[in-house]
Amino acid sequence: MKRSERKALSWAGTGLMGFLCVAWLLPVIIVLFNSFKNKMFINLEPFELPTEQTYIGLENYETAIDKYGFLDSVGWTVFITVGSVAVILLCTSMCAWYITRVQNRFTKAIYFLCVFSMVVPFQMVMFTLSMIADRLGLSTPWGIIVVYLGFGAGLAVFMFCGFVKSIPIEIEEAALIDGAGPIRTFFTVVVPIMKPTFISVGILQTMWIWNDFLLPYLVLDTTKYKTISIVIQFMKGSYGRVDMGAIMAALIMAVIPVVVFYLSCQKYIIKGVAAGAVKG
Amino acid sequence: MSQVSIKHVEKVYGPTSGHRRHAKKGNANLKVTDEGVVAVEDFNLEIADGEFIVLVGPSGCGKSTMLRMVAGLEEITRGEVCIDGRVVNDVQPRDRDIAMVFQNYALYPHKTVRGNMEYPLKLRKTPKDEMNRRVEEAAQILGITALLDRKPKALSGGQRQRVAIGRAIVRDPKVLLMDEPLSNLDAKLRNQMRSEIIKLRQRIHSTFIYVTHDQTEAMTLGDRIVVMKDGMVQQIGTPQEVYDTPANIFVAGFIGVPQMNFYDARLVRDGDAYHVELDGISVALPAEKCARLAARGVGTCDVTLGVRPENIERAQAGPNSLTGTVETTEMMGSAVHLHVSVDGKDSIIILQNNPEDGERPADIRVGDTVSFAFSGAVAHLFDRQTEKNLEL
Repeated sequence: MKRSERKALSWAGTGLMGFLCVAWLLPVIIVLFNSFKNKMFINLEPFELPTEQTYIGLENYETAIDKYGFLDSVGWTVFITVGSVAVILLCTSMCAWYITRVQNRFTKAIYFLCVFSMVVPFQMVMFTLSMIADRLGLSTPWGIIVVYLGFGAGLAVFMFCGFVKSIPIEIEEAALIDGAGPIRTFFTVVVPIMKPTFISVGILQTMWIWNDFLLPYLVLDTTKYKTISIVIQFMKGSYGRVDMGAIMAALIMAVIPVVVFYLSCQKYIIKGVAAGAVKG
Repeated sequence: MSQVSIKHVEKVYGPTSGHRRHAKKGNANLKVTDEGVVAVEDFNLEIADGEFIVLVGPSGCGKSTMLRMVAGLEEITRGEVCIDGRVVNDVQPRDRDIAMVFQNYALYPHKTVRGNMEYPLKLRKTPKDEMNRRVEEAAQILGITALLDRKPKALSGGQRQRVAIGRAIVRDPKVLLMDEPLSNLDAKLRNQMRSEIIKLRQRIHSTFIYVTHDQTEAMTLGDRIVVMKDGMVQQIGTPQEVYDTPANIFVAGFIGVPQMNFYDARLVRDGDAYHVELDGISVALPAEKCARLAARGVGTCDVTLGVRPENIERAQAGPNSLTGTVETTEMMGSAVHLHVSVDGKDSIIILQNNPEDGERPADIRVGDTVSFAFSGAVAHLFDRQTEKNLEL
């Protein structure tokens, strides 16, 4: 291939990627500028930029916060997300360490069970799950953490196992000889080494749990506890009308923390995912 | 310092273990019983206070497994390991007062050099002042004082190995175990570190058990060396003993570079005198060899004759010399290694490259015909069937 052809191909690729980026971001941008428009105009002119006539400043944000209890939902969402991610990271990292280092039929079965759980769609188990969760008294923000542990364990164990395999076992043996027991070895030697995978698993789980709608909607007692996604859903139907302005504002407020979190940690995702792939 | 006693130790990996598959695929000589694969068989060794023992053998011979059993990282199937008279079979590694240096350094990557060296002391709740003193002292011995605040990834291979040794010696263990610590280093650094280990040994007061597959390391470092093959001890002795009187053909071939030349020969007894016949030449054995053979009741028989390349000399073609064609030459600077084919069998000869005496081995070319001979004093005689040294 000639140099000019290569250059043209490169430009074409850049153009295509640029177009895809804009296409991907466009809905978010539309939501953003609609959040500053009067709700009457959102349905009428959804793709128009705010004008002097349609612009209402932060009124939609104030409505979402004051009228729909958005801040309470943020609190519950933060509680559920932080709690679930912490429990997932703690339990699955220990589980992955154990099943990687102790090779027997039981640990193999656990590993394949975790991997298999990734391919089972949530919709397949949602009815029985919500029934069981209700009977076990898990329909609270602290109870749903257990349910999230079950759903998050598959991917987390899979990723942690890949990384643990790449840690030379001699490091753990050295700790054992130096005087550390298994628990101390795990927390003072293995966990610091697994930091990149901890971060990447944490980011993936955080984004999923933060944005999740169906599981909390089915499991939580929504008369008492509402996550952000449930509140947004309630804005649409609970009063017999749709407050599109508040929805737009709530969507933006919901997405900001997770975008900031992702942008600040994104370099670790690639590092963590690739960490287990190549022997160090 | 401490005594270590290893009595009838065996290691058998269970039938479900991957070692069985490994044994079938790779090291087919490992014994497989109903119990599983026998990785170490009936290992006996008494190690004195402060002694430097080297376990040497080819890959898969069980030397690392034996070391790991002493460390407590592998369960002992049968037998006993005692440190200072205490049976430690069921004692946790941390309670054995041992330290270990691994082939891949096994440094904690998230800790600095100081952090790595402090870790075992912290776990033993050593006071801060004492900890600093010991770390500084170990760092000074190993010449890594300037590296104390660096992370392992910022160090070279040799520096990392020094840190690993530092972490091991910092708590003054009774027994220092080293599992092929120099294998990951390049040849020059390996030589340098080898001499540093010799110096280190004079400065600290631990008993050393050192595993290697490199016979040069074994010969230069060990007070005694233990040669292993297929999980079994082949010979235990000082480097000189093992070199001079190898117990069997395996040891004779394994110890010494280049390896010993072996020939099919016939040992002939004539009264109290013996001579060896091979390829039409006859080599008389000296009186002391004859006495040892006679004492063991050895008669005329077929033997494997071993002669080290450095014990072979060039000779004039004649009835008492072997003649062959040079197949390859290796110029080593001070000497030349000749690979000579005698009746299709390869022999290695080392000729010193010393122009002052008029000979110039470097001038020998591939295809040249050379004659060589050796005296009976340097001949090693092995039983053709048992492969054991007939003089032992």
